Amino acid sequence: MRRRPQLPLPPEPDCHQVGAVLQSYLDGELGPEDAGIVAAHLEHCERCEIESETITKVISVIRRQRPDLDPEPIERLRGFVDQLERRGPDALS
Amino acid sequence: MGTTSDVRVFPGHEPCDHDLSLGTVLTVTGSFRVVADDPTDPRFRDQVLPELPVLYRVARRLTGSAADAEDLVQDTLLKAYRAFDRFDGRHLRAWLLTIMRNHHRNQLRKRRPDLLEDEVAQRLPGHGRDARVDGVDEHAFHADFDPLVRSALSSLSAKHRAVIALVDLDGLTYREAAEVLTVPVGTVMSRLHRARAKVRAQLEAHLDAEDVT
Repeated sequence: MRRRPQLPLPPEPDCHQVGAVLQSYLDGELGPEDAGIVAAHLEHCERCEIESETITKVISVIRRQRPDLDPEPIERLRGFVDQLERRGPDALS
Repeated sequence: MGTTSDVRVFPGHEPCDHDLSLGTVLTVTGSFRVVADDPTDPRFRDQVLPELPVLYRVARRLTGSAADAEDLVQDTLLKAYRAFDRFDGRHLRAWLLTIMRNHHRNQLRKRRPDLLEDEVAQRLPGHGRDARVDGVDEHAFHADFDPLVRSALSSLSAKHRAVIALVDLDGLTYREAAEVLTVPVGTVMSRLHRARAKVRAQLEAHLDAEDVT
């Protein structure tokens, strides 16, 4: 399926049109108007709803592999930002 | 953010071995100009602090090393601080990621030019202690798939793995991932679609095989 710049959805899109933007919808990348149109379509289209649930599960199992983030470097970086504002960039570069 | 010239090199930043997680999809393109010091904008801290985890995640992926990642984020912050008066106030994360990506590329070009064009094995997401549990309700169900998902991710091409890593694992938007990879947003979308489809196909094949046995 080609993923080219998306045109605004018609008020009552067909399944093909919904399928073309379903990934963007599930990733929260659609604007509110188009997202509403997709949501309404999924309400009454079992086929697209099943496809949506399947993609959601795939995304979910992929996102489970997200690495834990060590809090210590983040804390040190916060301290760096504090130092940056207190002492200026020349003192830290 | 406009692209200009003159990249500052920070002293004490020695060459090191990079496990260039995104190296295969990066090309040397952008650079930027360091502007006059000390805009001293109080908004800088407030706006930048929430972005530190994402910056660090992406830096880890770019450098493959915790120490190098921290250095890269610090350099990014320094550059961002100096250029903050020219930030247009929109898409801060994308702006910071662009600074980071450009700086990282310039570092690589100076230190390990050979790496830029090489096929470099990427660190696979989800190794060992990296696995994180999200969604308690579905944990048992999804946990069964973890080894299979990791295997599926490792079988993806570097380009597909990179976009999965940035969007699904690091939490970037399409636009932000496009900034890091210097590809159009549409390319991020198509790569993401294909990558997920491949993972899906492997999961479905696994489930089909289980049904047969």
